[in-house]
Amino acid sequence: MNVFVEPSDALPIVDLEIALPVGSLQDPAGQEGLAQLTGHLMRRGPRGLSQERFEDRLARLGARMSVEVSMRSTRVRATVLRRNLEPLLALLGDVVWHPALRGSDFSKLKRRAEAALTARLDDDQVLGAVCFREALFGEHPYGRTLSGHTDSLARISIQHAKEFYARNIARGAFLVGVSGDVSEAEVHSLVASHFPKVRRSRRNTSDVPATRARRGRHVVIVDKPERTQTQLIIGTLGARTRDRKLFPLLVSNTAFGGTFSGPLMQQVRGVRGWSYGAYSRLLHSTQRDAWYMSTAPAAEYSADCAALQLDLLERWVDGGTKQTELRFAQRYLINSHCFDRDTASKRLEARLDVELLDIPRSYVDKYDQLVARVTRQEANNATRARISDKDLTIVVVATASDVATSFERLPGVKSVEIVPFDRN
Amino acid sequence: MGAPKVLIDRLNRGVRKRNARWTFVRDHAFGDALKLRRLRLGNGLTVLLLVDRSAPTVSYHTWFRVGSRNERPGKTGLAHLFEHLMFSETRNHPHGDFDRLMEGAGAEANAATWTDWTCYYENAPRDALPLLIELEADRMANLVLRVPQVTSEKEVVANERKLRVDDDVEGKALEMLYDNAFRRHPYRWPTIGSMQDIRSFTVRDCQEFYRTYYAPGNATVVIAGDFNEQKALSHVQKHYGGLSASRPAKPPTPAKEPSQRGERVLQLTAPTPTEKLLIGYQAPSFSDPDTPALVIANEVLFGGTSSRLHRLFCVDQEVALSVRGSISPFIDPGLFEMWIFLREGKPKEDALALLDGEIDRLACDGPNPSELDKAINQLELSFLHSMETAGGKAEQIGFYETVASDGAAVFDRLAAYRNVSADDVKRAVSKYLRRSRRTRVEILRKAP
Repeated sequence: MNVFVEPSDALPIVDLEIALPVGSLQDPAGQEGLAQLTGHLMRRGPRGLSQERFEDRLARLGARMSVEVSMRSTRVRATVLRRNLEPLLALLGDVVWHPALRGSDFSKLKRRAEAALTARLDDDQVLGAVCFREALFGEHPYGRTLSGHTDSLARISIQHAKEFYARNIARGAFLVGVSGDVSEAEVHSLVASHFPKVRRSRRNTSDVPATRARRGRHVVIVDKPERTQTQLIIGTLGARTRDRKLFPLLVSNTAFGGTFSGPLMQQVRGVRGWSYGAYSRLLHSTQRDAWYMSTAPAAEYSADCAALQLDLLERWVDGGTKQTELRFAQRYLINSHCFDRDTASKRLEARLDVELLDIPRSYVDKYDQLVARVTRQEANNATRARISDKDLTIVVVATASDVATSFERLPGVKSVEIVPFDRN
Repeated sequence: MGAPKVLIDRLNRGVRKRNARWTFVRDHAFGDALKLRRLRLGNGLTVLLLVDRSAPTVSYHTWFRVGSRNERPGKTGLAHLFEHLMFSETRNHPHGDFDRLMEGAGAEANAATWTDWTCYYENAPRDALPLLIELEADRMANLVLRVPQVTSEKEVVANERKLRVDDDVEGKALEMLYDNAFRRHPYRWPTIGSMQDIRSFTVRDCQEFYRTYYAPGNATVVIAGDFNEQKALSHVQKHYGGLSASRPAKPPTPAKEPSQRGERVLQLTAPTPTEKLLIGYQAPSFSDPDTPALVIANEVLFGGTSSRLHRLFCVDQEVALSVRGSISPFIDPGLFEMWIFLREGKPKEDALALLDGEIDRLACDGPNPSELDKAINQLELSFLHSMETAGGKAEQIGFYETVASDGAAVFDRLAAYRNVSADDVKRAVSKYLRRSRRTRVEILRKAP
């Protein structure tokens, strides 16, 4: 049965979710943004209710609803006051299985999506993140943006959205998750009354080719005027979800740049005060996803900061992590793990992730043991095997004329490309 | 929770130092199932306890009654810089120890500073509570301020300012709004401070600030989550009981802001792809009896996708990508802020006319019963969400204690929303959302 329940009577609210194993990886080439547009179109409400009446009904129930599309999933989420659970659940089911998918809503949504792309230009962190994935993954589907770009949006019609819905959602597999002030029996009864017969979720094995790193160190400057500060992202490929080296790498990365006390934060911020934040992150998916460091140094020492980070990276990869640092990272990961499950909704998300994203169940059930048993040798071997300090993508959002020369001089840089920030 | 008298007698047994003796103040109901207990240590430290065993975690908040309102021109940003310095070395722990010990225990430690307060908090596994108490008590009294740390943190804060203000069009516009909406009150300067002031702070400035504001009598400790009350109080007694009772000098009362008599309009030209409007109406203080009605008005106008202005601006007319409104939760009167993020090529004059039309309509007709219902249900949902974790509960309690002088008043606020009538909303909108009481920042696109 693909219905998951996490009861908790701590508060008189209930969170509900219908999760579908379909995301932006299903966007046809040239129609990037289709999965997200379709999800947002569903969110405009079910057949028989104008958008205005749908929104009114939601608000009067004391409910909120969202549709979140990622690379590999679409999650229709709602939260509601306990006393209004049943009508909200019925409405949620209608949104997913009887959406209006009106042409007039679609036209407005498309204009909104285009306007959002323009508004995004204000956000340097988002500009940096989007450019980083595009530069790192190139033509690979992992390099696509969820929201597409101006050209791809222009190619999407209401018919495409309806076909996408019919093909991937209407008769596709789904999971139901409910957490909060509700019993298992009540959920099963309500789901049976209001939702179609639950279809077993097929494992999400979206067939994407292996990701490949570009050889050498490549700098991309996202050129934006009047930047006194820069957004700097330096990274390469990381690991696959089902990589045996994932947990050793997770521990190693935590020791390097996953905490405030780690060498990355201490050297960049603690000693020099160069950036408000300085962290490294390890992402994983069915193919190798990204590993990256992010900082935000002032323009005048942005290249110095990049050079320092490259030096720290080389020392981490070549010299490895010390035993004391490793133990510290393990303690941190294990002790703070309680915050991944301190609410019913977080516990529910973990269970849905296992089913939806093909995450081994042991990653959730035996997390503490998997972290605790990583040895220093395993951590250092995993770092050397997975993190390249030679093949790197370096993205900096800055005023190019202020930083280009200094970034060209960074050690090992093979190319410097300058792209305008508003190239959408 | 045990009976207070027995508990206090047990804790005070054999304790001679007056500063370390507990006084029970009172218990408050906290919703239907929980109880908020208020105690005071002899040195003036207020402690609020909320035992909630729904998760094996604990949240520890220390709220100081000091924020940017306590600064003066030329020294703006000191409260915020000081928040950073509080993570530095103490007489008992070298630099870096605080973060390392916290993270090793699995605790998330952070802090925030605003106009009226500075809050330090940790969310941690329940077993870490003794460590949290020891480290927080230590830095309340034993902070060591030296040139290298102050210099490095000034640079970090300068970078934070660039991130949040100098290179951020919204941050810059907000700074402009408050600087012009207030002429006399300290709310006019930014909490992060001016770049010039940040650069000029000395170690001596910081030491003086510490002596003035960081003392048990100027703080409230909130502990929420899964913990043993007696053990927690015993640890607090042990680590805070030795701190001096010296009460900080009462800061001068901020100058009262004169009532605004005409609209103020400013323009900010920035390298931004779309124009925006930021409008601030003079609004009442957080504790003012009119505030709940204005909060309902905010919900009707801006609360979610069914709100009047979202529908009008973002769906029907398509002049804006998004709109949002909020009322500054300050001790003294603040601003009702409204943002309109225009779409490319949409004239700001049209947007302003639409906004004025809706405000006039609300002032004239008030919300309909359905809108009132929606607003109250949505506020209840937000309130319940804010109470989901131990950290959320501690934050609400600490905030209400510091800004509204009553940590238990958080539930009263929800009751106050339920008592708001359509006439109350009409009255509040007519009184506060007048053009002559507003300051408007027009954010214009700089030609490439």
